Amino acid sequence: MNHPPTTATLLALLATLACNVDRKQDDVPATDPPTPHVALLTSGPVSDAGWHAGAYEGLQLIGDSLGFEVSHQQTRTPAEFDEAFISYAEDGYGLIFGHGFEYQDAASRAGEQYPDVTFVVSGGSRPSANVVPLLFHLNEASYLAGMAAGAVTAAGIVGMVGGVEIPTAKGTFVAFEAGVKAVRADAAVLETFTGDWYDPSAAKEAAAAQLRQGADVLIHNLDAASFGFFQAVREAREGGSEAWAFGMNRDQNDVAPDVIVGSAVINIPAMFLRTATAWRDGTLGGVAEYAGLRVGAVEFVPNPAQEGVIPPEALARIDEARQAIIAGELEVPRIEYLEPEDDDPPSP
Amino acid sequence: MNRTLTPVLTATAALAATLAVAAALLALGGHSPGAVFAALLRGAFGTWDRFFSFTLVRATPLLLTGLAVALAFKARVWNIGAEGQLHAGALAGVAVAILLPVHSPLLVLPATLAAAAAAGALWAAVPAAMKTRMGVGEVITTLLMNFVAVFLAQFLVQGPLQEPRGVFNQTDEIPLAARLPALLPDTRLHLGFLLGIVIAVALWLYLTRTPGGFRLRAVGASPRAAEVSGRFRAGPVVWLAFLTSGAIAGLAGWIQVAGVTHRMYEGLSPGWGYTAIAVALLARLNPLAVVVTAIVFGALSAGGGAMQREAGVPEVWVRGIEALVILAVLTVDRSWQVLAGGGSRD
Repeated sequence: MNHPPTTATLLALLATLACNVDRKQDDVPATDPPTPHVALLTSGPVSDAGWHAGAYEGLQLIGDSLGFEVSHQQTRTPAEFDEAFISYAEDGYGLIFGHGFEYQDAASRAGEQYPDVTFVVSGGSRPSANVVPLLFHLNEASYLAGMAAGAVTAAGIVGMVGGVEIPTAKGTFVAFEAGVKAVRADAAVLETFTGDWYDPSAAKEAAAAQLRQGADVLIHNLDAASFGFFQAVREAREGGSEAWAFGMNRDQNDVAPDVIVGSAVINIPAMFLRTATAWRDGTLGGVAEYAGLRVGAVEFVPNPAQEGVIPPEALARIDEARQAIIAGELEVPRIEYLEPEDDDPPSP
Repeated sequence: MNRTLTPVLTATAALAATLAVAAALLALGGHSPGAVFAALLRGAFGTWDRFFSFTLVRATPLLLTGLAVALAFKARVWNIGAEGQLHAGALAGVAVAILLPVHSPLLVLPATLAAAAAAGALWAAVPAAMKTRMGVGEVITTLLMNFVAVFLAQFLVQGPLQEPRGVFNQTDEIPLAARLPALLPDTRLHLGFLLGIVIAVALWLYLTRTPGGFRLRAVGASPRAAEVSGRFRAGPVVWLAFLTSGAIAGLAGWIQVAGVTHRMYEGLSPGWGYTAIAVALLARLNPLAVVVTAIVFGALSAGGGAMQREAGVPEVWVRGIEALVILAVLTVDRSWQVLAGGGSRD
């Protein structure tokens, strides 16, 4: 071998670094931390101004309000889900959020392995003693948005543009449609799933296609792709047609105040804080947690910049329905995806 | 011996150079480089369990796809399609595992592995035929076949192979008989890693110790010269390289499902088939060295997770540092070649 001296230098550098690192490691406090540790896993970037960002805000809120230590990891594949759950559990984290139904399998496996750790799965489907699905009933807010849409549409045609066709997304559309028809029974409803939460051009195309088919009020269930969706509605308005849009997931009224009538909002941070508080008080576990209107986890928020677009009498009806949902007198349609408890032994 | 060791040293030196650049960037971004690197090393090598359950588990798909790419490239077959062949293999394995009415692991495991290898080979056969029959460049065709496979997987997990409840876009869990047993007790390391090592050794023996391996290397060195020598035709060698490469990549997909995820869903691979190109090139296409480079990449990726968890470094930074490593490797590799007076090309 005839390598230049740089090799040796680099190796020495690496060795030095490794040694330093080893010494550092000893300074890290051992297990049994005095403050509770809470972790969050997301499968997308927390800069999406939507689903993942809400979870990250929730995590920060838990840190600020309850004084817990918090940590976050973005994971790409289910193989990494297991790894992250195990790592956090091993490192003494007592409460771990997996933000999406996709974490259910890994959470169930980790739950068996670490009975003292509580795993919360947003949109999860299999509760157990220490695995808690967090069921966001965004369909309730979406139903109210549907009632508003039914009152606003002149053509009697409304459209819905979704990302990936998963039960939670589908559920918001089923409810939206029911809300529209509660106000205007003869309304026609169009539905498109682009297959992508993050592709604004696909969303724009799908929205434009629905507008061409005569729809004049559209709602979406997208992530970062919603910018394209709103652009399509904006262009329709600029072209002289009286088209309106609804926001979803986040309060998007300020994202496109010129075209949005209102938003079906999911308050993820508040729900995360509520969940962490219940965990601290020892009341979390065994069953899925309801996160809907009744606990302030979702809400329909009319856009203050477009006051008057929804007629006052419609607003009154919406408020009635809202009270009825909270009182448990009105059940909003949804897609059921909760499973009975597992009999199968979880995979190793 | 030299040829095996050189890539190992290349990897190490590149890592060191990258650490220096990354440390500067991390410091600029307000992170303590020492804490970040400590997290990286702890995540990848901190305990035996982390090494076996995290690093080696992450290295397994890279090992197999890396071997697939190395073999193809050795024969001058530019197979950019490991990603698609991986998906084809995973789909075939899952389909056989779910549909086969047999419940003995002794039958199910070989049947699913064979199905995955066959599907991967079949996926590679299309570009192979287009190259040998029509002279269509395989860089384009293998790449395009990736998209076909990924979309086919998307369609199948929403349709024919979807879980019976029809709720989520994923298949049912595969039966216990189809799952790869653990290689070490109480770790997540599965038999697939051992299988990868066996294939690496077999490929190395084939390439260096057999006439077939010699022909493959000859075609790789210069297909024209190989043809002109009149000893053999390049066509069959190209076919063999394509099919074997595809089969190994197909195994990678199914082994990931059978050993780790236990079901198929959209987005099974975060781009292993593409990372495999870096894994293979870094190993200078030497199958034994691929084992090492795959573990290096596996460690980097496992350590990346710990960098997020323990040091609060965002995922984009982690991926940026991974990319830096690849760049550094190529730079160091090239400068060694130049310093060594041109160096060999293999």
